[in-house]
Amino acid sequence: MPDQKLYLVSYAPYWHNGSSVRARSYDYILAALPAVFMGILQYGVPAFRVVAFSVSCAVLWELLLNKAMKKPVTIVDGNAAVIGLLLAMMLPATAPWWAVLIGALAAILVGKWVYGGLGCNPLNPPMVAFAMLMLSWKGVVDFNAALVNFDLGFDMAYPPASLKYFGASAVEDFTVWGLLMGRQSGGIGTTFGLGLIAGGLYLILRGHVRWEIPASFIAGILITASLFHVSDPARYGAPIFHLLTGSTLLAAFFLIGEDSSSPVNRIPMFLYGALGGFLTVLIRSIGIYPDGVVFAVLLINICNPLLDKIRPKAFGKGAQDA
Amino acid sequence: MEVRTERMIAYCITGILFVLGVICYTALAKMAPEEPIRIFFTSIGGSVLFDHKGHASDSGYAIACAECHHELEEEKGKPSACGECHQKDDAQDAPKKADALHKLCKGCHEEGGQGPVNCKSCHML
Repeated sequence: MPDQKLYLVSYAPYWHNGSSVRARSYDYILAALPAVFMGILQYGVPAFRVVAFSVSCAVLWELLLNKAMKKPVTIVDGNAAVIGLLLAMMLPATAPWWAVLIGALAAILVGKWVYGGLGCNPLNPPMVAFAMLMLSWKGVVDFNAALVNFDLGFDMAYPPASLKYFGASAVEDFTVWGLLMGRQSGGIGTTFGLGLIAGGLYLILRGHVRWEIPASFIAGILITASLFHVSDPARYGAPIFHLLTGSTLLAAFFLIGEDSSSPVNRIPMFLYGALGGFLTVLIRSIGIYPDGVVFAVLLINICNPLLDKIRPKAFGKGAQDA
Repeated sequence: MEVRTERMIAYCITGILFVLGVICYTALAKMAPEEPIRIFFTSIGGSVLFDHKGHASDSGYAIACAECHHELEEEKGKPSACGECHQKDDAQDAPKKADALHKLCKGCHEEGGQGPVNCKSCHML
């Protein structure tokens, strides 16, 4: 017997539940703050200036493009600020001003407005910007090169790079608790695992991120990394290491679940997330990049329309007694 | 709240963040420490991240400055960066940087029987 609750629709008038793009953006900013504060606490003024400049530049680019395209001003919805904040979280604290300025432009223009603005972008805007910076100015986002002048009291070599180039023995001093508490080098907002998990859970509870995507992404990471680790423990890192280093947690909770670049149906969500996790570990283990998250996310973004072809059967279609 | 008021608040916050960002980039820029913490050597054979502090500090290997900065044997003063004399290509008065660094690092590791001597142990290949 079909579940009758699914087909109950009450009569008009309807009442808006209060959800809005603006509320969603502010929730994203709130969820990201613990990780951002930890980054600023660790790296000080250099991290703060990247965050402040990235957010403000993203909003200003948005305003400029609104005016240039004669569109209504959309900076109040907070989406541009979220894009700027997420971009800053992925950058090292030493990112130069021009890289932040260009990155914010790339995210807002190439990542978002080229496709028609909010809700039309097939790729995640901060990831587009980060990939462009990474491919154009490698040194800017090479964390080993960028953070040479910082000594935070722990091993400051970028963990995914140490694992990739020197094997599992080079990262055996990293503890799970240390990684969760941000005792690793990396982007301003990518190192504090506990803060990212808390922020991610908040977004899931608020209904902004569907749990299926981060859960399957994490499962994809853990399963693929386990297979590599079992095949050669001296060369490939432990699954939990892959989960807690690089931009994995930021991507899992803040980036891959973005509305317009992720699937809307449940099975595609699982496939999308799992594929992302699989590609991340694959790129890290046998690719040329120490942190495979950027290109893994962009690749699954491209797969998204195809995955969303897997959809529930239309109501009534093919029913015997229709 | 009216849309106009919200927009004004957004303009103000953006303006404040932009000004703070510019001030921090110009006036409060972090200067490089007098003594390097780590040095990142770029090379087509794979970059090398050298832990300068780990080698020089008392809590690390406590290697005296003059052991590597050999110019200090002749003249007192501050140690100079390797690249000041040892250039990318061969020069008349100093071996090229790659040769000098290989000889210094690998030589010391081999002599002391400690530290990496294989290419892949230092170079990010």
